[in-house]
Order: sequence, then C-alpha cells, then structure tokens
Amino acid sequence: MNTPPSGASNDHAPHLYEHPAPIEPARPVRAVGSAAAHTTTRLADEFFYLAHDDQTGRPRLFESATAHGLAAALLAELYREGRVTFEGSHVRVINTVPPKDWLQHLVLDRLVAEPRHTATRTWLAFLATTACEQVITRMWQLGLLRPEQVGRLWRQRTVYVPTDVNTAAWSWARLSFQLRNYHPLTAFDQTLAGLALHTQLDPILLDGTPLAVRAFLRHQVDQVHPPLRDLLADLGAVVGGAVLSHRTS
Amino acid sequence: MLHSKPDTVSAVLARGRLGIPSVVFFVIAAAAPLTVIAGGATTGYAVTGVTGIPVAYLLVAAVLAMFAVGYVAMSRRIVNAGAFYTYVTRGLGRPAGVGAAMVALLAYNAMQIGLYGGAGAVTAAFLNDRYGWQLTWWTCALAVWAIVTVLGVARIDLNGRVLAVVLVAECVVALTFDAIMLTHPADGTVSFDTLAPTHLVAAGIGAALVTAITGFVGFEGTVVFSEETKDPHRTIARATYIAVAVTGLLYGLSAWAMSVATGPDRIVEAARTDGTDLIFNLVSPHLSQSVITVARVLFITSLFAALLSFHHTVARYLFALGRERVLPAVFGRTSRRTGAPKVGSLVQSGLAFAVLVGYALAGADPIVHLFFWITVTGGLGVLILMTLTSAAVIGFFTRTTHTEGPWRSVIAPAAATLALGGILTVTLREFATLLGVAPDSPLRWAFPTAYAAAAVLGIAWALILRTTNPDVYAAIGLGADSDTGPLRASALARQPA
Repeated sequence: MNTPPSGASNDHAPHLYEHPAPIEPARPVRAVGSAAAHTTTRLADEFFYLAHDDQTGRPRLFESATAHGLAAALLAELYREGRVTFEGSHVRVINTVPPKDWLQHLVLDRLVAEPRHTATRTWLAFLATTACEQVITRMWQLGLLRPEQVGRLWRQRTVYVPTDVNTAAWSWARLSFQLRNYHPLTAFDQTLAGLALHTQLDPILLDGTPLAVRAFLRHQVDQVHPPLRDLLADLGAVVGGAVLSHRTS
Repeated sequence: MLHSKPDTVSAVLARGRLGIPSVVFFVIAAAAPLTVIAGGATTGYAVTGVTGIPVAYLLVAAVLAMFAVGYVAMSRRIVNAGAFYTYVTRGLGRPAGVGAAMVALLAYNAMQIGLYGGAGAVTAAFLNDRYGWQLTWWTCALAVWAIVTVLGVARIDLNGRVLAVVLVAECVVALTFDAIMLTHPADGTVSFDTLAPTHLVAAGIGAALVTAITGFVGFEGTVVFSEETKDPHRTIARATYIAVAVTGLLYGLSAWAMSVATGPDRIVEAARTDGTDLIFNLVSPHLSQSVITVARVLFITSLFAALLSFHHTVARYLFALGRERVLPAVFGRTSRRTGAPKVGSLVQSGLAFAVLVGYALAGADPIVHLFFWITVTGGLGVLILMTLTSAAVIGFFTRTTHTEGPWRSVIAPAAATLALGGILTVTLREFATLLGVAPDSPLRWAFPTAYAAAAVLGIAWALILRTTNPDVYAAIGLGADSDTGPLRASALARQPA
C-alpha cells in the first residue's frame, strides 16, 4: 500500500520508452494527502464512493462486482481521455500519449504492452485483480481515504474510510437526486450510473422509488456513447458470469 | 529478438484457475457417491425389484460418456454453457429452449427436494440410534433445510479442499465395504449374476436404467467451470470423462458387491427389509463399530453436499432465466452483500419447505415416497434434457461452420440420442415398476405428465414472447450475457479459439 506508484517499472518493455515525454514534469515525492488534485473528477474514485458506505467505508456490494466495476471505471477513464475505444467485444488503444494520472498511465501501458489480448472481458478480469487496491492507493494519496483497523482480534482487517463524508456522499446524492427527479444526467454521470446499473448497485441507489425511476435510469444509461455501451454490456456479462460460476475458495 | 515477451495478463488470470482434479471433485460431490451407493442402489433394488441394477450403472456410464463427447465439444462454442436449455436453444430453436428450461427447473428441484427425504430419514435414524432420541425424519429434514437455506443466500458452497477430503473418504469407505462384501459372499461363491448383460433385455430394466441415471446427475456441471479452468479445451473434457468413469465403476462395483454379499436371489428382499441400512448391516460383522459410524456420518455429509450443490444449480438456472427476462427480472437480482442469486435461492428454499411440510402432514414414507420417487422423477427429467441436448448438438453442428470431426459433431451425439431416447422409452413404459405401484395406477402417468406440462408451458411462453417482446425472445439462452445480446447479434456463438 505504501509504495509509491512506480508505473510498470519492474518489467519495462522497450516500447514504453517510445512514449513522448509527459507534458508535466515528474512531481517530487509528497506527503500523503497532498498530491495535486486533478480538475476533472475520476470515474473510478466516484464509483468507489458509490460502492462503499460514505461514513464507515464498508462495502455496499459484493467483492467481485466492486472489483469488476472499478476495472470498467478505469477503462472508461481512459476512454474519456481519448486513449482507448471499445469496438464490439474488443478494446483498442487509439492514442499512446501517457495520461497525467499515474493509474491511467499504468493501465494504458499494460494495454499497450500486451497487444495480443484485445477482448474487453479479458481486460476487465485482469484489471479486476488489482483495481481495488490501485484505486484505493490513488485516493489515499490524494487524502480522500484513510486506513482504519476494524474488527475483533481474529478478524482484523483494514478498511479505507472516506476522510470527508460530504465528498464521499456527493456522487450518491447527486445521482439519486437527479434520477428521482427525472433530471437528465451529464455524460460523466450517465457513465457512472451505467457502472452502478451493471454491477447491480441500482436497487439500493434507487431504493423505494417507483418503477418509472428505474426506467428513467435505464434510459439515461442508454444515452452513453456507443463504445461505452459496449464496455457496460461486457461489465454486466462479467458480473453475471461471476454469479453463475461462483465457488467458495 | 528470440525470446518472446512474457504474457502477464494470461499469467495473472491463470492464478486460482481450476485444474482437472478440482472440477472432478466439484461434480462428483454433486453426484454424491455414498448417497447413490447406500441410498439410491439399495432403494432401487427394493422398490423396483430389479436385480440388474449393477449392469444398469455400467451401461448408463457408457451412454453418458458417449453423450459427453458432443456435449463438451458444443460447450466450447456457446455462452452460458452451464445450462442444458442453452444447448437446446442453440440447436433446436428458442421455443424448445424455453420448454427445456422449464423441464430443467422441475427436474433439478425434484432432485434437490427428494434428497431432503433421504437426508431427514438417515440423519434421524443415526441420531436416534446413537443418542436414543425420538426425532422424526421431518425434524431433521427441516434442520438440514434451514442450513441449506442460510448457506444458499450467503452464497457459500463447500470449499474445494473440504469436498476433496470428504469425497476421497467416501470412495475409500465404499471400496473397503466392497472388498469386505466380495470376500464374504453369501453362499461362499462370488456370483456375477447381477452383472449379466441379459438383464438389459429383462422386464423392469427401464426402471433400473433411470435409477442409474439419477445417480449420475450432477456430472453435467463440469461445463459451468469452463471459463475458470487452466485449459478449457482439455480440462473440461477430461474432467467429464473421469467423473463418469469413476462414478460409473464405483456404482457398478458397489451395487454388484452388495448382491454378492446377500446372494443375487436375495438382494431385493434384503433391500426391502434393511432399506438404506443394508450396506452398513452387511459389513458390520467384519468391521469395528467406529468405522461404521464414520461411514454413516459420511453418508449424511454426502447427502448434504448433494443438497447444497443442487440448491445452487436451481438458483443459478433461475438467475440466468431472470437475467434473460424469460422469468421475471427479479430473479436476475443478486444479494448486494454476497452476490448470491438471492431471489432464486429463496424461491427454491420456499418450494422445498412447502413440499417437506406437505410430506410431513401426509405422513408419507421419506425414503420411498420422497427420496426415491422424487429423485428418480428428477432423474427422468434430466434424462429428457440429455436426450434433447444430444439432438441439439447435432442440430447445432449442422448449422454452424466448425472444425470438429464427424465423430464429435454427428456420430457420437447421434448414438447418444438414440441410446438416451431408447432408455427414455423403456423408462416411460415401465414407470409403474419404477414407482413400485400397480400398472394401472394413475401415479405412473402423473410424474411424466408434469414434465410434458412444463415443456408445453415453456414453449407457449416462448411463442408469446416472440410476438410481445422480441428483445427478450432474441436473448433466450444467453443467461448472464443477455446484456450484450442486442449489441452483438452476430457474436452469439463463441468462435472456437
């Protein structure tokens, strides 16, 4: 958790050096919570907030749904940055210029380094193995989360608690309010709502609302860009597949 | 550059994937060997009065291995490969697919609920005998039901390692018992009479064959794990053949050994007197009491593993059908905390509860009327499904371009269809023998008619969907993949890698 993000430093493939230099100079190492905040909001962070309780940080969703949702959110971030696109069931890199965000950069480098894998589902499965930890690291760096030990002696574990309840609750409140009042969502929120819908987070998001609100949510999610619709369909299939082939390991 | 780049993605995804042994353990646990040997085979002898049970197990194993050839080949090319109705949909059309889905729901529910009869009666007998309690079978059945219900919604199935240990122990016990029974034959000579192929043309063989098929139900589950295996092409095929071969030989051997120990002419009578205690009574003079106790506990755990496994199967079917919106979408919901197909799980448990209460109130016999009747009815349903699936494999391969040879795409599936169809025909003709009722009893038609009704209902529902809801109709058979259906109509069949 505490290691600074170092990109794909341990297995540099030659092509990685071919990237044009980042536009921003490398930042000096900073204390936790002081990393430069980006002006745009990041989908994966927002989805992390949606999928966890804003006060206790406990998960609202089962593990594989959260992991695959975060993986899809990371890919959607790259789509919004114009780096990748989705064609049918495949993901394609369209621009290899490194994004400013280190995690987006890391994911993009992986995609570039492994051109033999193009199936969106393969990438969702691969990214899901690390997405949760990586997104937590990114949010912790920005001071959005802080680790806390919970549980009794024999079941101690670390939970990442949002440092500010209002920030954490904002995406939830925003989506919930807009949908309940039939206000159209922004493109960003449409994608976020799509992630919630396909990870089965929507029943709690819209708890106690009439069926028309659910229909409005589906209608709004249908407005996302066609490539993102492909990504969301694959996310739904992967989450459903995880339910079908579940086994207790 | 001579060395190739490491494939990190494949390496990471390969972690935690299943090998052949894990898949075999998962599916044989559902088939529950000790349940079949101590419960199914003995009750089969008792109720049907047919002595050809051992040879029936061996024949059915051969037929199912034939069935598996086309089944596994097709499973690589379709999504939602864990469900029989997907095969029927892709091979014989969507209306037939929904019909098959309804038959499957009925069949697996019957398998699961019937097992409660066995679990209740055997557990009660064990506890009463050991601690002098006065438990009724239905108290124990409801206790087991409560555990299965909780584990079902909590989405807990038995851990692979636990299953492996229990399964190996079951096999060791079964083989030890077989060895003891074979070395202590009834008249001092080992008789091969119950293995004689002449039984296959004798009266009542249909009943014996469907009893045998019931014992194998669960082996078809290998393909559920196809996307989670290290090498989907080889692992699933081998695991399926190994599961069929191991269970077939074990069942055949054990059923035969029992007939040797009692004498072939007295096996039916002995099974009627002793019931599910038969195998334990036969070996108890030659073994210490603690070994018998361990064996009885293993019998109960094997029943429990099978109950849980079939419970998850039904919940999975309901979930897949809910995702497709063939059933109400609420079945496609999962528990948000555990990811269990919650609604499907609760509905299955509710149904089981209603049946158990009904049997308890009616005072019916838990072993004959619940365990045997209802599980063999489930076996009959799975037999219908396997026959349809076999035909669907031929239909699928004639319609798609593929690289499989004629053996996998036509010859083996055709042979399996004929063999399974033949078994189905004699089974239906001898259903009265199977139930142990008079040939003119209305019961002999009641169970098969239930499947016909379910199939007709499913076909009618599919035809209604075709006119009222074409989107749902188009997604039939896709299961969890139904989200991608409208976007990629052409990619429904997964191309061979």
